[in-house]
Amino acid sequence: MLDFTILTENFDIYLEGYKTTIIASLIALVASFLLGTLIAVFRIAPFKPLNWLGTVYVEFIRNIPLLVIVFFFFFGLRFSGPVAGATGLTIYTAAFIAEAIRAGILSVPKGQMEAARSSGLTYGQTMRLIILPQAIKIVIPPLGNQFINLVKNSSILGVVAGLDLMYHADLISSRTYVTFDVYIFVALFYLSLTIPLSLGVGYMEKRLAKSN
Amino acid sequence: MIEFKGVNKYYGDFHVLKDINLTINQGEVVVVIGPSGSGKSTMLRCINHLETITNGELTVHNISVADKKTDINKLRRNIGMVFQHFYLYPHKTVLENITLAPIKVLGKSEKEAKETALHYLQKVGIAEKAQSYPSQLSGGQQQRVAIARGLAMSPEIMLFDEPTSALDPEMIGEVLDVMKALAKEGMTMVVVTHEMGFAKEVADRIVFMDEGRILEEATPAEFYANPREERAKLFLSRILNH
Ligand SMILES: Nc1ncnc2c1ncn2[C@@H]1O[C@H](COP(=O)(O)OP(=O)(O)OP(=O)(O)O)[C@@H](O)[C@H]1O
Ligand SMILES: [Mg+2]
Repeated sequence: MLDFTILTENFDIYLEGYKTTIIASLIALVASFLLGTLIAVFRIAPFKPLNWLGTVYVEFIRNIPLLVIVFFFFFGLRFSGPVAGATGLTIYTAAFIAEAIRAGILSVPKGQMEAARSSGLTYGQTMRLIILPQAIKIVIPPLGNQFINLVKNSSILGVVAGLDLMYHADLISSRTYVTFDVYIFVALFYLSLTIPLSLGVGYMEKRLAKSN
Repeated sequence: MIEFKGVNKYYGDFHVLKDINLTINQGEVVVVIGPSGSGKSTMLRCINHLETITNGELTVHNISVADKKTDINKLRRNIGMVFQHFYLYPHKTVLENITLAPIKVLGKSEKEAKETALHYLQKVGIAEKAQSYPSQLSGGQQQRVAIARGLAMSPEIMLFDEPTSALDPEMIGEVLDVMKALAKEGMTMVVVTHEMGFAKEVADRIVFMDEGRILEEATPAEFYANPREERAKLFLSRILNH
């Protein structure tokens, strides 16, 4: 049977880590969304050097482990644990977000761009007013999945003394010599973040489907 | 108004447009016909620079289309284009589809743009659909909206690329009627179509293309009575017996 005193007696410590996990995830979420959108636009812009830059970023980052990226900032650049963790998460997740957004943009029929451009709208106006609003509907489900992955991946902070849930759970575990129960409660804290996220994505998906 | 002088276009090694010479005057209706792959769409799309010519000279209002110094967005304001597959913006209402460019490109007020839009919607016969989304309209209605969208910019030239070939037969007439009315009002039109009835009724000239070349240019009467080119004869017999 699960020992609930572990949870109640160490609640403050759990909460401390929970807060850091939420803050680091939120920062990485916003930053990776912005960076990912930028990279996606790089990859499809009618300008070869930008395409190349975007492709190199995505292919490079997607194909190395998140842990290595975080270590790079932690050991290499001597960032503090939480900062190295959040930065690594941002850089890593942005590559996946860029791919999701790019796929969404490419799924909008080419004729939409042509119709808008032939009416005298600029490339930027067309992107903003015609292409991106259509792409976003296609992008929301994969984007939501990336955000859920991001929250789970934030446990990497524990490895670099990132003061998150995982880090604090390790503390509790080494103090109480309990392992299983400690980490079950950690799982519940993560679920309290990922389940609402997942429901939110489902809801948005339904609403967007209806608006069509 | 539109002038091609020795225009060539290549896709890589593929020579799509071969030495095109064609002058289209203000108020003229020119119908372009020819077999699939002969370069009709490509020629049309060069006029508003959706495609780039490789060499030669192409001018609209004496302004060179391919010149880097030409403000292409400004040129395009004056040239409406209607596509085979309409390409209405699915996330915008019919009214928003039509007012978007007048507001964003011409800087019209929302109120003014809306009045203009309603005027043209009336003209194409679907004013009651202003608040609908494109997906709620039939193909014929969508294409009429697309025409209204083009007209709302008050262009001097309208380009049509097979505007009825994606439509069910019973809807072709309603779109052709709108186009005929437009032609009779003196709009300069370049129309890629195989609708021979339309060509006979309103075209000033028929241009026959094959394998990237203009093989024949004639009035509809001349063209139908006696196409000079063997290829044109063959093509005509095929589409007329179809
Ligand atoms: N982007 C492109 N890259 C390479 N080849 C192309 C491209 N676009 C068109 N082509 C080729 O150029 C030729 C002319 O095409 P175009 O679309 O102008 O023909 P069309 O006369 O309009 O034919 P259709 O009646 O089928 O619409 C075709 O052989 C086509 O395959
Ligand atoms: Mg074509």
